Amino acid sequence: MANTTARSFLQVAATEEAAPPLRVVQIEGLVILKIIKHCQEFSPALVTGQLLGLDVGSVLEVTNCFPFPIREEDEEVEAEGANYQLEMMRCLREVNVDNNTVGWYQSTLFGSFQTVELIETFMNYQENIRRCVCIVYDPSRSNQGVLALKALKLSDSFMDLYKNNNFTGEKLREKNLSWVDIFEEIPIKVSNSALISAFMTELETDTPVRQCDYERLQLSTNPFLERNVEFLIECMDDLSMEQQKFQFYYRNLSRQQAQQQAWLQKRRTENMARKAAGEEPLPEEDPSNPVFKPIPEPSRLDSFLITNQISNYCNQINGVAGQSFSRLYLMKALHDEK
Amino acid sequence: MASRFWTQGESDTEEESSDYDEQEEGPLETTAVAGGSKYLQTEASDSDDSDGQKRVVRSAKDKRFEEMASTVEQMKNAMKINDWVSLQENFDKINKQLEKVMRVTESDRVPNLYIKSLVMLEDFLNQALANKEAKKKMSSSNAKALNSMKQKLKKNNKQYEDLINKYREKPDLFEEKDEDEQEEDEEDDEGGSDLDDEDLLNRESEESEDEEEMEKEAAESGSGWEKMLSKKDKLMDKQFKDPSQITWETVNKKFKEIVAARGRKGTGRIELVEQLTFLTRVAKTPAQKLEILFSVVSAQFDVNPSLSGHMPINVWKQCVHNMLAILDILTKYPNIVVDDMVEPDENETQKGADFDGTIRIWGNLVAFLERIDVEFFKSLQIIDPHTREYVERLRDEPMFLVLAQNVQEYLEGVGNYKGASKVALKRVELIYYKPQEVYDAMRKLAEQSAGGERETESGDETKVVEESRGPPAFVVTPELVPRKPTFPENGRALMDILVSLIYKYGDERTKARAMLCDIYNHAIFDEFSISRDLLLMSHLQDSIQHMDISTQILFNRAMAQLGLCAFRMGLTAEGHSCLAELYSAGRVKELLAQGVSQSRYHEKSPEQERLERRRQMPYHMHINLELLEAVHLICAMLLEVPNMAANSHDAKRKVISKTFRRLLEVSERQTFTGPPETVRDHVMAATRALRQGDFGRAFEVIKSLDVWRLLRDKDNVLEMLKAKIKEEALRTYLFTYSSSYNSLSLDHLAKLFDLSDSQTHSIVSKMIINEELHASWDQPTGCIVFHAVEHSRLQALAFQLTEKLTILAETNERAIESRIGGGGLDGLPLRRKDGQDYAAAAASGAGGRWQDFSFSQGRLGSSGGRTGYGGGRSSASGQASGGNFSRDRTGQLRSGGYQNSRYQDGPGRMFQSGSSVRGNQMDTSTRMVNLNRGVRA
Repeated sequence: MANTTARSFLQVAATEEAAPPLRVVQIEGLVILKIIKHCQEFSPALVTGQLLGLDVGSVLEVTNCFPFPIREEDEEVEAEGANYQLEMMRCLREVNVDNNTVGWYQSTLFGSFQTVELIETFMNYQENIRRCVCIVYDPSRSNQGVLALKALKLSDSFMDLYKNNNFTGEKLREKNLSWVDIFEEIPIKVSNSALISAFMTELETDTPVRQCDYERLQLSTNPFLERNVEFLIECMDDLSMEQQKFQFYYRNLSRQQAQQQAWLQKRRTENMARKAAGEEPLPEEDPSNPVFKPIPEPSRLDSFLITNQISNYCNQINGVAGQSFSRLYLMKALHDEK
Repeated sequence: MASRFWTQGESDTEEESSDYDEQEEGPLETTAVAGGSKYLQTEASDSDDSDGQKRVVRSAKDKRFEEMASTVEQMKNAMKINDWVSLQENFDKINKQLEKVMRVTESDRVPNLYIKSLVMLEDFLNQALANKEAKKKMSSSNAKALNSMKQKLKKNNKQYEDLINKYREKPDLFEEKDEDEQEEDEEDDEGGSDLDDEDLLNRESEESEDEEEMEKEAAESGSGWEKMLSKKDKLMDKQFKDPSQITWETVNKKFKEIVAARGRKGTGRIELVEQLTFLTRVAKTPAQKLEILFSVVSAQFDVNPSLSGHMPINVWKQCVHNMLAILDILTKYPNIVVDDMVEPDENETQKGADFDGTIRIWGNLVAFLERIDVEFFKSLQIIDPHTREYVERLRDEPMFLVLAQNVQEYLEGVGNYKGASKVALKRVELIYYKPQEVYDAMRKLAEQSAGGERETESGDETKVVEESRGPPAFVVTPELVPRKPTFPENGRALMDILVSLIYKYGDERTKARAMLCDIYNHAIFDEFSISRDLLLMSHLQDSIQHMDISTQILFNRAMAQLGLCAFRMGLTAEGHSCLAELYSAGRVKELLAQGVSQSRYHEKSPEQERLERRRQMPYHMHINLELLEAVHLICAMLLEVPNMAANSHDAKRKVISKTFRRLLEVSERQTFTGPPETVRDHVMAATRALRQGDFGRAFEVIKSLDVWRLLRDKDNVLEMLKAKIKEEALRTYLFTYSSSYNSLSLDHLAKLFDLSDSQTHSIVSKMIINEELHASWDQPTGCIVFHAVEHSRLQALAFQLTEKLTILAETNERAIESRIGGGGLDGLPLRRKDGQDYAAAAASGAGGRWQDFSFSQGRLGSSGGRTGYGGGRSSASGQASGGNFSRDRTGQLRSGGYQNSRYQDGPGRMFQSGSSVRGNQMDTSTRMVNLNRGVRA
């Protein structure tokens, strides 16, 4: 951190051409607090906001943010939202705050954020900003005494594929892309100025236990687990749907292939007959024949996203279950001691 | 070519008419020829004119008539070559001439010649218009002329409408008058206008005299039969007037001629039949009579040309009689063999009755019989079932059954068991749907009508003898074959006889249909277990999709009847499973072919609709749809209500009847439920009552349905239904409220549901055994003690999840299997299909990932901790001071929760080791892992 701040803007501008991969997202403590406040207040509604900051080498600095008003499904309101954003940026510029967009943040519920919409938004942002991140905050997880914050970006190879909208099995193999490779998570670094840090230490109480820790000791995990399992069930349904799509596709494909074979067979015998009769053989390829029209392969994107989602839920359950066990053992030990 | 036209102009003989026939048959002339012929034509007629007029001095009146006649002649010639342009010219000409004639004769009476020509023209025009194909082929000028001719003629004919009609009614009248007036013309006309008949005339010279005679006779006798006959029949009568002159050859020749005329344009179908019928009377040998009779029958089939219409009923009856006559001959002369395989000798039929060897006649009794059946079926389809006509028509059924029985007996006698089995199937198909009552009624009717028919028939015969006036039939065949059907007492017995014959000799389709009829019949007779066993043993359910549609309909009918039977027996589950499929798509009408159902989503083409209409069942064979629906819904209700109560926490989990659920949803959505009207409303009202345990009301509502009167033993069925409803009400009650009780006394339950103690005991015990109810009996106190074992929500969800996962895994496995087949992965071609990949990815995603975490948790935990909060020195330090414990937790959680690209290598490696640890546990799985690894590396 010390290194990065020491570099001058000029240096940064000079090195930027090499475009080193994004390594760290560095967020101001204030920004985090603002994000948390916004998301927490509106929970369980999902909210979004804009991230402002600087792109410095392999570090993306997030120095400020502002919330968006809750969107409604309406054309006018959407246009208003864009106006709001521009207006806000202008105002911020006037008071000399960083007004360079570096991404956006959004709240989520139980980590169910891996959707096509998210990817679309990413692509929109990516058009204008070369490097952008999405910070996802999960208020429900935070209730358990965890700072559920993560920074995401789309992997480059995925973006290439998405631009061509080509999610057939063939292409995915070529690119060596599997479902884990859609999103990349970037480590978050929280930075505060030295003064603030000093002030915080000053403020610190003497008790070693804080609110956060109490929350972590809560024994009730059922609602969380239930929700997660419910989501998992939904995902399974979706995945089954995808599977059915594929089955359907394969059935069609095999049927078509059988038809093609039959047609070819017929053509060949016909050609044999023609040859015997001394006529020109007919071509074996007939593009106009509907039998040879390729059947569109269903996109893999959905199943990839669902798989991601599933792994997400599984991890959550795994983590929570592990912690719960620890807590239960702790409680037991305490109980026994008494 | 030219010479032909020349001759045409001049001669008016047989040759010409045959010429005409040729042209009719042959392809139409090209434009060039047509155009050329026009000139030739006029020239020809010109010369003709001059020829005829040469050196003859006539009166002005005669002359006018002469002119007109020659124009008519030209018109005829034009007709022969289909030349509408010249026809049109001539038509104009004749109209002008008409004016002149009128002036000369100074009368307002239009000459008959003119009317005749008009009629002729009209007929020809209609004929030309009807022949669409030929119209298409016409040259443009010709077609134009045809069209303008059509209009002109229409306008013109209006003036003379009365006269034309009169002429059409009584052509002879006109002719006689004509003859008086203009003898020469008449002859010409005769020859021309009856072109078709001309080839029938062998002795033209005698004709006119004969005809006059005949006409007089006809006028004298005035019998209806005579009037019906057209002129050619009269001619025929004449020809064969003298019995001594008739030989086998003449009859044969005549027969050949008539048969050749069949199907030709302008040959009246009914006339053909009449001619042939006449010939049967004069046939010389039995074989010949047989041959002619066969032609009569097939000609009768031709009477109705369209597929959709049915044969006129009187023709149908005649047809049946003819068939019986055929059978008479066949039984009398066993040496005559009917065969449709070999082309018989030309003179095979010449062999007389005393000929010893076998005589082969072409014909197919089974096909004829099937055709007669089809016509009968069609007529029933088309006749409005609510009219008397329909009932009358139904009365003809025994007649057909007699015929079928006789044919079958004959075929069996001959040894053609295959044919016999086909005929037996036809009989089965007429009987299978009849319950005993209907069967008895039919039997009675058959006995009565057979007696009655005998009288009318004999009356008919005497009439025929009287009317025919001509020679009595040469070959008199006594009625050997019984005209009276013999039915066994019991419909079932008849079915058994027929069906066993079919099973023995029939082909696949015949057997399948017979089996279905058998099943249906057993179901009607309340023999559920027999018909179910038949259905299951025959494995028809597996193969029915590959059968023809009418068999599929029969299958559906059998299933519906089986369901009804199961319900009557009180087997609701079986009944439901029989009927559920019929109702699943909401196209019961279509499936049972009892009406065309309108689909909202895709329009049927008229072609499809016509096909569907042709498949419809006649009304008397219908299965009552309301009853069927009531039975289906009640079965569904009895199954579904306790089921819903049992799975109250997730309603979607186990659905027995989707149709019922949907209906219930719809009815629950209604804000206001009025008194029930339809069958559905009734059942829904009953369902609502039953869900609350109010069995009394439920039963009352169901009982108020008026479809029950269609059931034979209505009281028993309702009694059964009541018991069932009580039972299900008890079960529903227990499912719903068991959690609210600690214990329940048996007495109380029995009283509550008006059941006996033992019944209640058995129902509850059954539920306990099936683990539907977590309870046990406390014998001394007579109580049910409930054990509260409620799944928590999480547990229930977990169950659900495992179910889903199993399904997913299964489909995955299937996908892999279909990919791998027997060959294994190595054998796959380079262009691997994605299913395998997909499956592999999913499999490794499901299995492998899990392992990842279990393996890598610890290590990742620490690294996550380091890069995570711990990295942020300042603020995290506070947290770190909170204790190692908490820090570790967060780290672990994070690493567990987030998939980071930087950790990619970690899991990958771990994974690898994981798979190697697993080693050779599963060959395929490791291979999949490798594949996956290859993709990712």
